[in-house]
Amino acid sequence: MNSSEVQGKKWKGEGTTLNLENIVIGRCYEYIRIVNPAVGEKNCSEIWEAFKNAFINKDPCSILPKDYELFINLSLHEIPPNKSLFWENNQLLVNSFAGRGRRYMSLADTLFGFFGDFLNWCGQENSAELDYESCPTTEECENNAVESFWRMASVTYAEHSSGVIHVLLNGSAAGGAYPDPGFFADYEIPNLQKDKISQIVIWVVDDIEGPDIESCGTHSVKILENRLKTLGYDVTCTDNYKSVMLLLCLDYPDDSKCTLSSSAPAAQRGPVSSDRRGSWNKLMIVSFELLLQ
Amino acid sequence: MPFQQGSARTRQRTVLLVGIAVLLAALVLAVVLASVLTHGERELSPQMLKWKDRGTTRNLQEVILGRCYNYITARYPELGDKDCLKIWESLKHAFIYKNPCNITSEDYQPLMELASHPIPCNKSLFWSKTSDLAHRYTKSNQNFLTLEDTLLGYMADRVSWCGDPSAPGINYESCPKRSECESNPSSVFWKMASKMFAEAACGVVQVMLNGSVEAGAFRSSSIFGSIEIFNLNPDKVSAVHIWLMHDIGGPQSESCSGHSIKRLKSILEERNFKITCEDNYRPVQLLQCVHNPDHSDCRLCTNATEAP
Repeated sequence: MNSSEVQGKKWKGEGTTLNLENIVIGRCYEYIRIVNPAVGEKNCSEIWEAFKNAFINKDPCSILPKDYELFINLSLHEIPPNKSLFWENNQLLVNSFAGRGRRYMSLADTLFGFFGDFLNWCGQENSAELDYESCPTTEECENNAVESFWRMASVTYAEHSSGVIHVLLNGSAAGGAYPDPGFFADYEIPNLQKDKISQIVIWVVDDIEGPDIESCGTHSVKILENRLKTLGYDVTCTDNYKSVMLLLCLDYPDDSKCTLSSSAPAAQRGPVSSDRRGSWNKLMIVSFELLLQ
Repeated sequence: MPFQQGSARTRQRTVLLVGIAVLLAALVLAVVLASVLTHGERELSPQMLKWKDRGTTRNLQEVILGRCYNYITARYPELGDKDCLKIWESLKHAFIYKNPCNITSEDYQPLMELASHPIPCNKSLFWSKTSDLAHRYTKSNQNFLTLEDTLLGYMADRVSWCGDPSAPGINYESCPKRSECESNPSSVFWKMASKMFAEAACGVVQVMLNGSVEAGAFRSSSIFGSIEIFNLNPDKVSAVHIWLMHDIGGPQSESCSGHSIKRLKSILEERNFKITCEDNYRPVQLLQCVHNPDHSDCRLCTNATEAP
């Protein structure tokens, strides 16, 4: 992109994703028919209209989270207890780990999150058209269509989470594992419903070949743990939770952290043996297996 | 007087009979109206054929279109020249208003041509009896592509469709199982798509097989064994790497030295492919361990600061 092209554009960010309407309506039906039919019947055209009306024909820097209220009301559904997975700085990993809602239901695995995941959009003043050329970044203005969408979605997700809550943080992230300001800090924690939550489980996982910048009990993670404890939550924290680490190991199978102690198939196979160390890992695995049934 | 009493009784009986007849007629009318009204809403033609498998996915058009646009816009922008509307129309015309037991590959030819695209070399991943694992792997590791990661497979995965000669031409209630008839829309589609996927492969190809299945890891009756291996092009494909996976904690019915693998190797060698086989290919085994981290096969070497 040369400077003359940039000069011609209104904003610094990418424009609306092409074919947005078809993509999101398709995703809506995909969700209710295939991904999670348990949510029942939803009117996907109505949901699209409500979504569009939040930002169409308005100054693209004047969009507020509550403009998406109708959209949220129409697309809201129950989030099963113990399945919420919050995160910071590891979106693709969470996507993989959650298994499209089968193991966990991250925000992107809810209908309202699935709707907008990885897409971009904005409108323009005095026009019913979407702006495909450029959209404001959050640095240019906070109250833009996409930022306000995710703020509203995050608030809603937190409000409807219950049971055991999981938070996956990146121990190798430059700005700290628990960013503040951040979505989790500003929009999710304040909207957790204390009376519906039994426990908050924090996982701090380092990149396989990344630095171990933070761990449980240190720096920003310590701040997070204290904040949640002060709010009255039962909090636990685990470093390099094994299941997640194994998933990261897919890209680094030969790294020393990823070497399995059995390099050849075992001679004898039997029922899954249990590790009697009584660690958090085992407890969590057992819980997940119960949840998966 | 007896005559007068008799006629009065007859009149009463007549009135009663007429009353009952009217009631019955009203009941029948109500039932008929109710069924017509409710069925009218669902456009169910009473003449539609009935099958044993699930029917066409509701909102199929929206789902297919959305997936097509999602694929070319969000995932593979280099395919920007694809016309998703045309692709949907060609899919629809392949089966709408047709008897779902008479589908041919010609029906799908326009769709196949519109939606096919080249596949980078060394990335094709075939699979047999390892669907869940293979797809979880390609989702986490973008270096490999299964058929379901190509545009055609991506659009068709986990949806179903079939037509019917009576209006509206699409059967949302049921579709034929393969046991009911082989030339059904789904079987014909996947056979053709698999053939094309194999034809498009180049360089080194991979196949993930299941060594915990009793009937053998490689089966001639599978799509892999009956279609894909015979449509690999020896001028484009240099080698086939077999990943033979065992379920964590599952039986080791077969390994790389096993009977069916030997058979697969001889078929491929005859067509001049180089073959390698690896038991429990490490990266995929790590993925299996994500779900079984505490199994003895999933124990990691201790977190030593030095390399083991």
